[in-house]
Amino acid sequence: MNQFRALAALSFVVATLGTGSWVVAQDAPTDLNIGNFLDITSWDPSLADIGFDGPYLSAVYDPLVALDAAGKPIPVLATAWTYSDDLLTLTMDLRTGVTFSDGVAFDADAAVANLNHLKAGARSGEAYLNVTSITAVDADTIEIALSERDDTMLYLMGLGRSYMASPATIEAGTLVTAPVGSGPYLLDEGMSVAGSEYHFTKVAEHWDSATYPFQNIAIFPIIDQTARHNAMLSGQINVNFADPLNLEQAKQMGWNITSGVSAWVGLQIVDHMGTTLAPLGDVRVRQALNYAFDGAAILNSLGAGAGQVTNQVFPAGQSGNDPALNALYAFNLDKAKELLAEAGYADGFDVSMPMSPIFALWQPVVDQTFGELGIRVTWDDMQMMDYQVNAPNYPMFVALIAMDNDPVATLARQVSTQQWYNPAPQFADVPELKALVDDALAAVGDEQVAKIAAANQKLTELAWWSVWYQADNTYYSVPEIAVTPVIGMMFPTLRSIQPTQ
Amino acid sequence: MIGFIVKRLVAGIVLLLAVSIGTFFLARAAISDPTAGLLGTTATPAQRAALAAKIGLDRPLMVQFWDWFRGALVGDFGVSWRNFQSVNKQIAIKLPVTLSVVTFATLITAVVGTAFGLIAGLRPNSLFDRIIKTVSVVLFALPGFWISLVLVVWFAIQLKWFPAVGYVPPAQSLGGWLRSITLPAFSLALGAIVVVAEQLRNEVIAVNKQDFVRTLRSRGLSRGRVTLHILRNASPAALTVLAVMFVGLLSGAIVVEAIFSLPGIGQLTNASSQNGDIPILLGITVVSVIFVVIVNFLLDIALGWINPKVRVR
Repeated sequence: MNQFRALAALSFVVATLGTGSWVVAQDAPTDLNIGNFLDITSWDPSLADIGFDGPYLSAVYDPLVALDAAGKPIPVLATAWTYSDDLLTLTMDLRTGVTFSDGVAFDADAAVANLNHLKAGARSGEAYLNVTSITAVDADTIEIALSERDDTMLYLMGLGRSYMASPATIEAGTLVTAPVGSGPYLLDEGMSVAGSEYHFTKVAEHWDSATYPFQNIAIFPIIDQTARHNAMLSGQINVNFADPLNLEQAKQMGWNITSGVSAWVGLQIVDHMGTTLAPLGDVRVRQALNYAFDGAAILNSLGAGAGQVTNQVFPAGQSGNDPALNALYAFNLDKAKELLAEAGYADGFDVSMPMSPIFALWQPVVDQTFGELGIRVTWDDMQMMDYQVNAPNYPMFVALIAMDNDPVATLARQVSTQQWYNPAPQFADVPELKALVDDALAAVGDEQVAKIAAANQKLTELAWWSVWYQADNTYYSVPEIAVTPVIGMMFPTLRSIQPTQ
Repeated sequence: MIGFIVKRLVAGIVLLLAVSIGTFFLARAAISDPTAGLLGTTATPAQRAALAAKIGLDRPLMVQFWDWFRGALVGDFGVSWRNFQSVNKQIAIKLPVTLSVVTFATLITAVVGTAFGLIAGLRPNSLFDRIIKTVSVVLFALPGFWISLVLVVWFAIQLKWFPAVGYVPPAQSLGGWLRSITLPAFSLALGAIVVVAEQLRNEVIAVNKQDFVRTLRSRGLSRGRVTLHILRNASPAALTVLAVMFVGLLSGAIVVEAIFSLPGIGQLTNASSQNGDIPILLGITVVSVIFVVIVNFLLDIALGWINPKVRVR
């Protein structure tokens, strides 16, 4: 009995120690508590990542342009925009009556200062590669001049590359740690603990208050997926960047479960011409690498079945991806061996490939499959940051590459423009492919979509990659909250997280 | 005693120098191009070159080391390559989190471990002793992260007594702070308690058999006073284990910080490793070594006080 009393007393003491900041009413949709995977990269939008920074940045900043669920640019601080006939000048009308949290008004000069800052940014600059000048036409109009037509700029701006900060803080260089924007929430620095939890309070007079219905927002960056799941179970968070392995429990809990493809997994082939590894210059060898991997089995065993089996880099179910092409390389090891033999590599060949802990999950699959084909692989181990620098120096490497919902952006970022995974685009070395890609990039509207589909078919036939599957991002939320995934964002911005209707 | 202290201090400084130099060159060897992690994959070669020049990577390695070392000598670890904030400031923000958990865990370990070890040692082969031994084996065999998860499931998810993740600074809420560090501290302490208890138990049994204890009893001293004498003579080994545990808990905190999402030194180390933020890594290493030196120094002083024979080493 004494032990029982002691336990009861301990319970009482613990229960009355104070509330702290973690207690959350799970059934109160006025509070949004997000379990994110990563901490914010930087509060400076020019240095921030699109991936997991969306919820943080969209709380304190308004962008010029946002994306809807289908990946289409929608107006925010830019209320409308038009391209000149030659598509080399973009004119944007700006919202009036908006002020930053330091009291400075948002106007054309502020937008110009921000866009110049973003253009110079190491991370944000990718959206403005073709911008030659940004000028204020009048107090609420700006013009962006381009050196060449750029169909991806508006999409990238909407993806997270057009957040507007107070020009005073840009000049002072204080944005990295102290965000000053015109967004729907203010960072509560007193309640926030850097690296652990960030609290935001609603700006009552925000011009778009209705889009942001939650009164208080907290974002918890939690790298460990079990910890995030436990936080969701305990009621500390009500939206979670989830692990599909917990799917059954999520169903039992009655949580909302949403998911969407986010990245393709497979082999990024760098040397399509066979310059450093002759076999890869032969299309039959690349096709053999497509036949040899059982994408469905890999997805089920290593990806918990959370994804779509496809052999293309255009997101499954979206414009550009052709389901009919998925049958082109149905798993067939014999066919792969036959193609290798036809190409003169019946005994396989030697290849060096980079490896990093993050890709180690798929290393045994490659070892086993290449072993079946007689391909002898030598792995060079390196850290992730070195992987991103060095991997493209190898003829091919294991890759998990983020996708875009915009087909033009997909064609550009996966095929025609320089990226870390594609430092020297080789599409121009195949005349037929170059003609198709150039045609697609030059077309407009529905014609452009059709031509991109044609380019995708040629890319698939040429086995430009060995895509095994497209992996999902999955989100759990309490029944009162709904999350809409946006392809291109690892975690969607706050406008995509709404109370359930 | 002064000579003893000076010797220990000199040994500590030599260790500090060796680890600092080793860490600097190992870190630079392990990360070939830190700008890739710092600026991300979209940075242009020109932007990466500009950052390299800004943080001094374009200078000879020895010059970089000497610059860092000169600063470190006066306690200035420079600025983070990622956000250009002071390394000292960032460590000062994170260190209290880790120290809160580790100190609390050490306290729990000292109190509970001593109590269990003493009781079991005074009554060897009793029911209590057998229970302690069994629990010791079980806790020692179980992985620490598993124990952490069980604690979370039971006390955070089922009972909701404590938060599953997160940290509340004491300035914000003293109760919230205590709640946020309780489960992490117990996660760290459970494994350590059994080691301290087992060590103390064996020492107590050995001391209890010595002649001076029998003499004390024959002189009619109370059981409590005899126990105090036994404890003082048995404690050096347990104290050494406790000190080693404290240092071990500092590194063990990395796992616990991940499980409980605590913004401590472990989390900072992890993030800095991923980003290639070498100044932060160096600062953390030096501060950790300083803690090891201080703990060992205090341990030597304490052992010297308990047992004067130790001072002549």
